[in-house]
Amino acid sequence: MPKLHLRRFAPAAALVVALLVLAACGGEYPNSTFSKHTELNEGAVFIWDRMMLLGTIVFVIVEALLIYTIWKFRRREGGPAPRQIHGNAALEITWTAIPALILVFIAVPTVRTIFENQRKAPAEALQVEVIGHQWWWEFRYPQYGITTANELYLPIGKTVNFSLRTKDVLHSFWIPQLGGKRDLISNKVNHIWFTPNAAMEPSALNGACVEYCGTSHANMRFRTFTVTPAEFEQWAAHQKTVAIGSPAAIAAAAAADSAAKAAAKSPVVKTASLVPTAAPALHAAPSSAPEVWVFPAEKIGPHAWPSTPLPAVAFDESVLAAGDAKAGRELLTNPANLGKAPCLTCHVIKGETNYATDDNARGPNLTHFGSRHTFGAGLFRADAKALALWIKNAPAMKPGSQMPSFGAGEYNPLIKAPVPAAAGLDDKQIADIVAYLRSLK
Amino acid sequence: MATATAAGAHEAHEHTHYTTTGLNHRKIAMWAFIGSECMLFGSLITTYLVYKGRSVVGPFPHQPWTDPVSGKVFPAILDIPVTSASTFVLLMSSLFMVLALAAVENKGKPGYEGLLGSSKFWLASTAAAGVIFLVFQAYEFTSFVHLGLTIKTNLFGSSFYTLTGFHGAHVAVGVLWLMTMLFIDIKRGLTPKDAINVDIMALYWHFVDVVWIAIFTLVYLIQ
Amino acid sequence: MATSAAIPTNAHAASSEQTGLWSWLTTVDHKRIGILYLYTALFYFLVGGLEAVLIRTQLAKPNLSVVSADFYNQLFTMHGTTMVFLVVMPLSAAFFNYLIPLQIGARDVAFPRLNAFSYWVYALGGLFITLPIFWGLAPDGGWFGYAPLSGPTYGGGFNMDFWVLGLQILGISSLAAAFNFITTIINMRAPGMTLMRMPMFTWMSFVVQFLVILAFPVITAALFFLQFDRFFGTHFFEVAAGGDPLLWQHLFWVFGHPEVYILILPAFGLVSEVLPTHSRKPLFGYNVMAYSGIMIGFLGFGVWAHHMFSVGMGPVADSIFSVATMLIGIPTGVKIFNWIATMYGGSLRFPVAMKFAIGLIAMFTIGGISGVMHSSPPSDLQQTDTYFIVAHFHYVLFGGAIMGIFAGIYHYFPKITGRFMSEKLGEWHFWLNFIGLNLTFFPMHYSGMLGMPRRIYTYDAGQGWDLFNLMSTSGTYLLLVSGLIFAYNFFSSRKNGAPAGNDPWGAPTLEWSIPSPPPEYNFAQIPEVTSRYPMWDLKAPDRTAGIAHSHADAGVIAEAHAVPVHEETERRTAKELGIPIPFPTIKPLLVALGIVVLFSGLIVLHAGNFPLAMATMLGGGAFMVGSLYAWLTSPLE
Repeated sequence: MPKLHLRRFAPAAALVVALLVLAACGGEYPNSTFSKHTELNEGAVFIWDRMMLLGTIVFVIVEALLIYTIWKFRRREGGPAPRQIHGNAALEITWTAIPALILVFIAVPTVRTIFENQRKAPAEALQVEVIGHQWWWEFRYPQYGITTANELYLPIGKTVNFSLRTKDVLHSFWIPQLGGKRDLISNKVNHIWFTPNAAMEPSALNGACVEYCGTSHANMRFRTFTVTPAEFEQWAAHQKTVAIGSPAAIAAAAAADSAAKAAAKSPVVKTASLVPTAAPALHAAPSSAPEVWVFPAEKIGPHAWPSTPLPAVAFDESVLAAGDAKAGRELLTNPANLGKAPCLTCHVIKGETNYATDDNARGPNLTHFGSRHTFGAGLFRADAKALALWIKNAPAMKPGSQMPSFGAGEYNPLIKAPVPAAAGLDDKQIADIVAYLRSLK
Repeated sequence: MATATAAGAHEAHEHTHYTTTGLNHRKIAMWAFIGSECMLFGSLITTYLVYKGRSVVGPFPHQPWTDPVSGKVFPAILDIPVTSASTFVLLMSSLFMVLALAAVENKGKPGYEGLLGSSKFWLASTAAAGVIFLVFQAYEFTSFVHLGLTIKTNLFGSSFYTLTGFHGAHVAVGVLWLMTMLFIDIKRGLTPKDAINVDIMALYWHFVDVVWIAIFTLVYLIQ
Repeated sequence: MATSAAIPTNAHAASSEQTGLWSWLTTVDHKRIGILYLYTALFYFLVGGLEAVLIRTQLAKPNLSVVSADFYNQLFTMHGTTMVFLVVMPLSAAFFNYLIPLQIGARDVAFPRLNAFSYWVYALGGLFITLPIFWGLAPDGGWFGYAPLSGPTYGGGFNMDFWVLGLQILGISSLAAAFNFITTIINMRAPGMTLMRMPMFTWMSFVVQFLVILAFPVITAALFFLQFDRFFGTHFFEVAAGGDPLLWQHLFWVFGHPEVYILILPAFGLVSEVLPTHSRKPLFGYNVMAYSGIMIGFLGFGVWAHHMFSVGMGPVADSIFSVATMLIGIPTGVKIFNWIATMYGGSLRFPVAMKFAIGLIAMFTIGGISGVMHSSPPSDLQQTDTYFIVAHFHYVLFGGAIMGIFAGIYHYFPKITGRFMSEKLGEWHFWLNFIGLNLTFFPMHYSGMLGMPRRIYTYDAGQGWDLFNLMSTSGTYLLLVSGLIFAYNFFSSRKNGAPAGNDPWGAPTLEWSIPSPPPEYNFAQIPEVTSRYPMWDLKAPDRTAGIAHSHADAGVIAEAHAVPVHEETERRTAKELGIPIPFPTIKPLLVALGIVVLFSGLIVLHAGNFPLAMATMLGGGAFMVGSLYAWLTSPLE
């Protein structure tokens, strides 16, 4: 019989083991489940450590016994015939009892932790509604009246109670660094709660959908920003306002400016087609509006900046810089443009005339889109070029995207044909819309 | 699955008299098949019960429902007196089946002369009872459809028709089997040597009956 | 094995029996059906393996686009479906078919034609579910088919039609086979072969058949609901009508968890044959091994919801299913220790079969330990739907089931073909397989615990997963190479392998008392069994002196025409011996064909061609009924 000793493979095996050990010790693991940022994770890590210890002991004993047996009892020429043992009740009872005992040491903390984790959430908890869509995340803060998407802000040190539901198929909500997952199930509202540890640094964390949900399941990601309570309040105060440049915002600004005089007549801002009286209103918030606060970009680590490659969709980049936010807003909000830019039939911009409501919108709420760092469910950095390509041809950037292509001549999978030139947007118009969206701080 | 077992029906090595247990192969296979069928009907019944009361729109099994859109009133769907009658007929069929088997097993023995020993009569009665049950079911289904309940109406309709439909299909297979046996009996006469074949068929038939008792109790009687 | 060179080969003797394509299409011989299962399952193993290679190639680095998202989703769905239903189960079925009658001293299974039917339903059903991938229409809802994604509203394409219908077809095959083997094992044991004398493989197979008949009807019911939703407009899993996706999950896993044991127990059985033989020592704790198998099967029905800890069942249900799951670790652990104890104190030799058997113990232990890790919900919630789970069940199914099956193939190849497989190539196969398996799946523990979700066709750079994924992908290519070496070895050894005699390994059980390959009637004379190890009784009585021996009742022996266990070396035809052999028949194949055509009609219905759909279904149905009638009215032998 040819001999192939284990030895021959030993260097390769040693290398692999060394690599894995190295990998376990060093390296950046931004989505590690071993952090102890929440009580959920502390419980999980406690049980994990115990199981890892017991498991390693069992593993070492079994494999050592196995290797010893293989070595010791290998057949030798002229060796004695083996003794024929058919069983041994005492031994067999022993190795039934010992694993049973080991399991008790796992079962007890398990059951205790299950009941701890699934207690009722504290009444003063921050409430967050998580709504899954194919393939993006909607987040609502009912205590603040905020609806946003794909970027979740959580105050450090405060318990947050999530209620989870889905608009379509099953999804699962998971932020590995903050604790175990919970499924979003049709016809059911699920719950999970945890408290980002007060000792935690403000950070940008990744989250993902972990229940297979169709074509772009892999592209259903989100960001979580854990921030200080003060920062959170600041962020929330701005997020609950209406969109910058919207008739409602202008009305509110005007009302605020004239509040002192208490006599001025409100400007007429009832119709959506009305052009704002002053261009700066698009870009500068009224003096009374809360200051815009978002998680600072420079604090976001490389793991939370997406590097999804952009598709080979042609776009005249020279027009991007010249994008005109005012023209973009006109494209979106003037009913005459609905055929070309029907954005508000699927998205909501609070303060504008919407054709959808938060409850039946098929796309993310765009009210403060300009304050987000990423878009497409965490798939792209919210820079002008990526946005332009997205509006031009979203399905090319995200397979199965329910947002069709709007660029003239681009293939639209929903109608299985290119968008006719007359019905599509040209690059200049797209640049205008991009400028408008980015202005929605 | 019915196909699979039926396919095995005439398979066994008849010439080999020796079997480990002394039992006929097909009888053991039938018991295994019945075990399997218990899980199938268990799943169907469980589904019906899980969905009980969870239909978004009516009509409902035990209480009337007013359509909020049209204002139309739908009566409670299930008609327990009628189904009790068909249940009685099906239960009687089990008795006939027992008598048919006894008639075949004891053919020619004293005490089995006349009607009691007429396997043809008892097989025909069993089959007839099965057919009557199926007619009742057909009547029940059509009347339910007229009352506004189809398999597409709501969860109740989907789970009810699927459960009772599967049972009805089993009864239909049993009736076909009984008629085949009756045909053989008429053609050449069944003898005690054929008892095993009737025995296996009887096992199946009784099982189908027992399932109906479960369905009748859980679906019709418990509100 | 050097001893075997002197034994003249019987390999050519098979030529006296029927050959040619037609003989394979019409065979009802359990051994030839076993071989058909083996070849077909190995073919699908290649298919499922290539799917895995494509999957791993796509995931080698972040943000690759080797395949599209939709095609990837089809690949992972079909990889799972193929490996479970078209590879591991049928490979086990190949051994059930080939070995059970031989191990219990029978001449065939209880229902030979039903057996052929099971095979043809499997083979044709496998094509039905596999071929659509060439048109990009393969199932894409995951092997678990979670509603409502698998329903008509969110999965309206043809893809999941093929899945629902394909699994229904394959279920018919598994159920028919299970009724057959239950009857065979209960009723066709040779005189003296009590239940507690059955070879451990037969024992484990026996348990598996019960799992099949009790678990498959549940998925059959669930598939009917989904099928009715998809084709007839019912509302079982329709969200708008109040349908409950969790009902699907419960039904699926009530089937799905026993299914895991359906996959692994036959491999446990094979290993329990290989280890004692090559250790020259009886199986340690036979009774406990049998009981633990039953225990695993029984408990396997009470733990399904541990696949569903993340759905929010509440603390009580979570706790119950968690503890029940941990309990399963106990009988499983007992098996591991008993195997080691079997080898302990033995005289071990290490042919490739033995290496794979030992490999199963070593690798399954890892899968078992990680299994206990996610029996604890707080921990599982960080693991479920990540690559940690992928690592776990590949250690169980690849490191366990597949390794055990390879052990079985190397061990029984001489029995099946009369020749040995090449040990040299086998060594390469084993070591590349062993390294490839660990290189592929061990890093997945890391990528999972470091936050990588399952079933994603792409992932972003900078997540800390790149190294592990590259390792996994490299390992997959090693596995591909090892698989190709195996295929070459398998096919070349059929003709060129060293000849093997009746009992090349010195094994204890009945199948080794007859020529290799066995004649169509198996046993010229039915053996009377007096202990668990009839061949050791015959060849090395000192080894079996320590266990109970008893003779069967004389009347039983006479009725079965049994004779004491002996080595049969003569090869005469069934006719010469006066042993009736079932007629070959094409009818089971025709019935299977009718069933597949009948189901295909529903696809046509979905395509909107009502007249053609009706024609297909009625035609298929009539063809099926007609063939069935012809089958039932024609004599067996």
